[in-house]
Amino acid sequence: MLVLSRKLNQSIMIGDNVQLVVVSIDRDTVKLGIQAPREVPVHRAEVYEEIQKANRAAVPGAAAESTNVKAAPALLKSRRKAPKIN
Amino acid sequence: MVNAPPANPIKTVDLPRFGSCTYNEADIFVFPWGLPGFDGLRAFIVLQLETQDQILWLQSLDDLSVALPLGDPWTFFPDYDPKLPAFARLSLDLGNADDFTIMAVMVGTDGGPTFMNLMAPVVLNLKNRVARQVPLEGSGYTVAMKIPVPEAVAAQAAAQAEAVPE
Repeated sequence: MLVLSRKLNQSIMIGDNVQLVVVSIDRDTVKLGIQAPREVPVHRAEVYEEIQKANRAAVPGAAAESTNVKAAPALLKSRRKAPKIN
Repeated sequence: MVNAPPANPIKTVDLPRFGSCTYNEADIFVFPWGLPGFDGLRAFIVLQLETQDQILWLQSLDDLSVALPLGDPWTFFPDYDPKLPAFARLSLDLGNADDFTIMAVMVGTDGGPTFMNLMAPVVLNLKNRVARQVPLEGSGYTVAMKIPVPEAVAAQAAAQAEAVPE
């Protein structure tokens, strides 16, 4: 892992268009400002880890199903009520 | 000269959980950014069991042992209001509401799915077949929202409990 030291208001570039700025330092909490293109998702790592854990828990054990299964592409329908998009 | 016949888009796969299953290659969904918890899995198909009408299975074609149950979140949470962030709209090309759908991963216990992940819905573009699980950080939804028991089922369970002699 690359480790860099930064002071208040200094920043780090990741690639050509993601910038991290140290906004404030208060005891054991560092506030970071993140400037990234809108198509880049930015999340706290815990959020991502929680989703990973939930997804793994969703896969049931090895027991085989006794009934027939079919591909069901037509069952996915677009929403009647369009979700809002920010 | 004879032209080579077009490759057959109908494929059959033998699944550890569901047995033999036939699907059309055109129905494959690609998760270009993967699915959290299952790094490297990209191609999925959607399956349904004859006996389950409220669950669809997101079956990996890269690791046949991976299948996640999906449900329509509005069936159980009519007020669900996922506000998709800009990165989701841009990466999935969600210009037209008719082109995509939103499903939620169901997390089961022995008695069947009892929780839904409303914090990270699976957004599927039905037109270009690209999909992604989208975290709604700060939405207040969690990865395990308890599915409410329908009133009719709850009433029946209560009646049965009363009928049991001491």
